[in-house]
Amino acid sequence: MLELRDVSLAIGKQVLVKQFSLTIAAGEIVTLMGPSGSGKSSILAMIAGDLASAFKASGAVLLNGKSLDGVSPQNRRLGRLFQDDLLFPHMTVGENLLFAVPALPLGERFAMMETALERAELQGFASRPPHSLSGGQRQRVALMRSLLARPAGILLDEPFSKLDVELRQQMRDYVFSHIRARGIPAILVTHDRADAPDGGRVLKISVGGEVQDV
Amino acid sequence: MAGVKTSRFIQALGPIPVVGLFVAPLAVSLLFILPSLVDVTGFVSLFEHPQFWGSLRLTLFTGVISTVLAFILAMVVVVQGTSFDRADNVYMASQAGPMLALPHLAFAIGLGMLIAPTGLLSRLIASFFTGWIEPPQWQTVQDANGIGLIAALVLKETPFIVWAMSGVLSREDVKRAFAGQRSVALSLGHGERSIWLKVLLPQILPRIIWPLVAVFSYGMTVVDMALVIGPAQPPSLANLIWTDLNDGEVLANARGAAGVLVLTGIIAVLLGGAAMLVKSFQPLLHRNYAAPPQNQTAMGLSLPLWTIVKLLYFGVVLILALQSISGHWPFPRLMADQYTFKSWVRLLHDGWPLLTSLILALSTSAAALLACVFWLETKPEKFDRLMLAACALALCLPPLLIALGQYRLFLQLGLTGTASGMFLSHVLPVTAYVFIMLQGPYRGFDPRWRSVSDGVVASSWRFYFRIKLPLLKAPLLGAAAVGFAVSVAQFVSAQLAAAGRFSTLPMEAVTLASGSNRPLFAASALALMVLPLMAFLLASHFSKSRWKPG
Repeated sequence: MLELRDVSLAIGKQVLVKQFSLTIAAGEIVTLMGPSGSGKSSILAMIAGDLASAFKASGAVLLNGKSLDGVSPQNRRLGRLFQDDLLFPHMTVGENLLFAVPALPLGERFAMMETALERAELQGFASRPPHSLSGGQRQRVALMRSLLARPAGILLDEPFSKLDVELRQQMRDYVFSHIRARGIPAILVTHDRADAPDGGRVLKISVGGEVQDV
Repeated sequence: MAGVKTSRFIQALGPIPVVGLFVAPLAVSLLFILPSLVDVTGFVSLFEHPQFWGSLRLTLFTGVISTVLAFILAMVVVVQGTSFDRADNVYMASQAGPMLALPHLAFAIGLGMLIAPTGLLSRLIASFFTGWIEPPQWQTVQDANGIGLIAALVLKETPFIVWAMSGVLSREDVKRAFAGQRSVALSLGHGERSIWLKVLLPQILPRIIWPLVAVFSYGMTVVDMALVIGPAQPPSLANLIWTDLNDGEVLANARGAAGVLVLTGIIAVLLGGAAMLVKSFQPLLHRNYAAPPQNQTAMGLSLPLWTIVKLLYFGVVLILALQSISGHWPFPRLMADQYTFKSWVRLLHDGWPLLTSLILALSTSAAALLACVFWLETKPEKFDRLMLAACALALCLPPLLIALGQYRLFLQLGLTGTASGMFLSHVLPVTAYVFIMLQGPYRGFDPRWRSVSDGVVASSWRFYFRIKLPLLKAPLLGAAAVGFAVSVAQFVSAQLAAAGRFSTLPMEAVTLASGSNRPLFAASALALMVLPLMAFLLASHFSKSRWKPG
């Protein structure tokens, strides 16, 4: 479960988000919408503990009942997906996945990597460089990479916006089904209403920083 | 000119200045080396030289250690100074600029006066801590292991590597990509140290390979620095060779030439070996890139290294200034008994070296700048790769190798001991640097400026002088300043080309190193420093735009 309590966000004197509270159950995917510059991505960065210093944030973030206050970003166990797949260009597909596997005996780590490749429908791609994959393939690897780190929650920052229209629906189903299967809470930030999963909650950031159900 | 309607004739002339000043002399100089490859007597004599193996060991030690240490130091400085929130690395690059401008030789002289047993540091220690009356017994300058030389090389090369790395990091696209990759890696449980070592540095390294190669090649072959701060018995291999090359005897000359080739071969083998090592270890490293223990956070090193480096540079300039005006200055006094401008008067009175250096630096940087601009305006961008390759060759091959070939070429043409010979020997490295500095910004000039001014400015020449040059003012002046600094610092090729008929500041400083007039020695080193520094200050002053952004 991921909880936001009275989260406010400002840059300089401009208030982006005011007194925002939200509870996301395990396996639930909440969609957060707003125009560009509304601070929706910054909320994700704040939750991840990676907010640029120009921003001012207040309020509490709790993951499974524990406050993340003072927890460094790398210890928050929150996966992230971005518009860009951000696969490391100097590593192969397999190495990108291994990068996320926790420290275990090498055999186990390789087995986990292979399973992830299978789930990405990319068996045999382990030694390929990321740039030789299509956009959709890369985004699948990126999702698998974030799931391999066994996150307790996942933050999706417009992960479909750079994909072709035909590919988008396919990718949404793929991402959502894998997140639901893990039973972890997720926030999806987007400006495209069609990105939201069917029947999921959709929130919208308005100009004054109020966040309302749509 | 691009956009300037020029005749085909001018277009065809495009490469001539660059080829004449740089490419052809470089190529022919290298050709003139070839005969030495088959001169067996030289090699035999070299390997039989009683000091050869000792010199080789020393050179391997100082060259490898100094490069590795400078690289590590620069890496830590960059890691400490980089934040993906702010523009710190741009700031770092601009600080490194003036440090780069100081000639190696002048820096080594100053550092020697700082760390020598009677130097400023031991005077400070004596005055405030230990109360020494005699200078300490440590040997930090011209010590047998070359520790002084290593220190000088490390401190001098670190800002260069910092500059190269922050150049990569301050590119907008790189910075954005790295910031994103960093966020992802954090979310996967990797801490800062892990991110730098596994994600960022492996991507920065391939982009600074040539600067690193140049640093290594320089460290292995440096002559002037080693003459003032390096060991003498045995000397570094480069200095052993240097003595032979300056010897009138034929066999010694052949031995020197063989030495240059052996040294070049050793550098090539070591670089190849290092490349293979990196290549074969890389997959192994990636495989073991598991997320580290979850509590890893800080870099673990909070020493303000960059500040320390900057302080040492300040100390070097300070001691040179103090020493140059000091009269009697017994140990362990912190201040000299009296101060006098005698050395400066003498330096200016016998002003030929200063004047020669100044004239050469002005003429070669101007010529190189014009030649490079002419190339960039008349040749399409696709040919730049060839020029850049030639520049990389000029900067990464041991200066001794090029200097030797050039010397033989000049002997053939009767250019040794002539003003043209001096000019040519200086303009070669200057052109290489100017082109490397200028190429990126010049090719990056937004062609839309041309389009928008088409309707406004009548002639192409007016566009060129009123729009393009003012907009490119900063990179042009910056490249000229670098060229100026490179020219002032030339020693090896200049000394050979001069054939005793000319003296420049570095030659004078090296000569004074063996004398006992320390104030004059310091004054000449400071003069050597001041020239390029002034060029940099002038360039940065005139590069300022009319309005400061923000």
